[in-house]
Amino acid sequence: MRTNSGALVRAIRGIDTVSDWSGRIAAWLVIPLVFVMSWEILVRKVHQPTYWAFDLSYMLFGALFMLGTAYTLYRGSHIRTDFLYQTWPVKVQASVDAFCYLFFFFPGMVIFLWLAQDYALVSWQRQELSMQSSWMPPIYPLKAVIPVSIALLLLQGVAEFMKCIYAFRHGEWLTKQRSIEEVLADEMPLEDPGAPANGQAR
Amino acid sequence: MSPEAIGGLMLVALIATIFVGFPIAFTLIFLGLGFGYWGFGDTVFHLLLFQTFATMKEQTLAQVPLFVFMGLLLERAGLMERLFLVTQKMLGGLNGSLYLSCMFVATLFGAASGIVGASVTLLGIMAAKGMDKSKYDVQMSAGIITAGGTLGILIPPSVMLVVMGPVMGIPVTDLYAGALIPGVMLAAIYATYALVRCYLNPSLGPALRKFERMESMGALFVEFVKGMVPITVLLLSSLGAIFAGVATPTEGAALGALGSLLLTVVYRKITGPLLYNSVMKTLEVSCMILFLVVASNFFGGVFSRLGTPDVISQALLGLELNRYVILIIIMAAIFLLAWPLEWVPIVLIFVPIVLPMVKQLGFDITWFAILIAVNLQTAWLSPPVALSAYFLKGVAPQWPLSDIYKGMMQFMVLQIIGLALVIIFPQIVLWLPGVLYTR
Repeated sequence: MRTNSGALVRAIRGIDTVSDWSGRIAAWLVIPLVFVMSWEILVRKVHQPTYWAFDLSYMLFGALFMLGTAYTLYRGSHIRTDFLYQTWPVKVQASVDAFCYLFFFFPGMVIFLWLAQDYALVSWQRQELSMQSSWMPPIYPLKAVIPVSIALLLLQGVAEFMKCIYAFRHGEWLTKQRSIEEVLADEMPLEDPGAPANGQAR
Repeated sequence: MSPEAIGGLMLVALIATIFVGFPIAFTLIFLGLGFGYWGFGDTVFHLLLFQTFATMKEQTLAQVPLFVFMGLLLERAGLMERLFLVTQKMLGGLNGSLYLSCMFVATLFGAASGIVGASVTLLGIMAAKGMDKSKYDVQMSAGIITAGGTLGILIPPSVMLVVMGPVMGIPVTDLYAGALIPGVMLAAIYATYALVRCYLNPSLGPALRKFERMESMGALFVEFVKGMVPITVLLLSSLGAIFAGVATPTEGAALGALGSLLLTVVYRKITGPLLYNSVMKTLEVSCMILFLVVASNFFGGVFSRLGTPDVISQALLGLELNRYVILIIIMAAIFLLAWPLEWVPIVLIFVPIVLPMVKQLGFDITWFAILIAVNLQTAWLSPPVALSAYFLKGVAPQWPLSDIYKGMMQFMVLQIIGLALVIIFPQIVLWLPGVLYTR
């Protein structure tokens, strides 16, 4: 089978980069989370509690893990039950994954995104405030985190789906390290019709 | 079709799809939306957003990234390994000393990983090589690493207990207090077993040779103070603040994280890459747990709204069995589920289904929670299906799987004894929370 996956790999790498960066940004939220909460304990001991630490802590926490979901998908770390999956040939894995992305992931996440953007938009228009404490900070930015996170997740899902197509074509998973150049170089011998499609060495 | 029956179908669909190997969180959201819409229409959409936002605002769960961050920092800065080396040198003259230091580090550092896979892997990387070098018995070594790695999941600060608290509707502090004595008891049972075996048969764990030990008592003492005291003080003060009620569990976790940041600075281990790697890994581990929490909360919300859990529990209660028989049925189910699954889906999906029934039977919920934790740990040690064996094999490829199995089996027997003790004497769990928090 002849393959030409250059464009596919380029698209995958493009989306991977977006998710990678979303993770790099979200991950640092843990640092202010540590300091906000530690500050609260210190100040409470010597003076009086802050009025802002509680709200800030759940906002940082909520944004941290929601914004990180796309990155986690990119890293392949969402919990899956893979004791059967591991034993299957790559093409079967790719087909099953592709099926699940098409029929579970995309419908579920598209609905989620559509609901979430509406939810956040209403909150934003009303300039909704948090009712959790006397500080009453704006809550709409945190609500806006949901559609942003799900949009990123959906985008990474597209890349994962494309990785399934790649794996189905080539009989092996696209590894994280391989650059576009390597993939293109690998494909050159495939122009020879006699070359086996899955005979690529890593 | 009645809503309860739709819920039943949803459960069947979940069990079927969970084994396909697709990330569970996505499957849960899809099934929840589909079956929820079928069962009660538009409301399901509100439920999805409500559950998502409620999880984001659940400040207790902020302990997950904080404790994971703390553990990762200490581990990546080599402080955990240092602790291992110090205890090893201190106990060097004793037969089986490495078993003891392995158990000690496992007990202290369970929070470093949060999930079984990571915990066993980490311990294996640290301990396996040294045990090989000192000509330790492979079966015993494999047993103590898997047992220690799985025990770390239970002993506070424990990410599993943090997630369990909101699911069960009890404060995390109660769970911490409840888990402390059973956890230490199990660690003591393991250590005693290993040491007695080594005493009877020194070839299982020969004492370190002279040149591997520390030369002078003075040097040893300095190493002890530098390597062990700060970390122990850090962990104990973080937990202590929580137990004493000075700080909420989340604040205690933040203190722990801040303390480990300071320690990496004091030990001059702090570097840009170290910090970067730690925050990235923290994000990954936290998301993998917490996004599943979001999805499971939603799925669970749909499921209970359909009314299926009540039907199931009424059916089981209608059998009029002895309540301990029902408890054993539940525990057996959890045991079987724990072979293929991490604790996260079990705690989040299965436990809420049986919880109303357990309450109706009049069991104490804190006790039930710890029972589940110990039970899960037993399951993780049962070869050949438990995944711990494969995690260990991954980092200690020189050990034959058959030996790893045999080692795990021995500790599984000890674990069953521990489980029986917790069932027969609920006070092992309930005494400390009672003293600390009530009446």
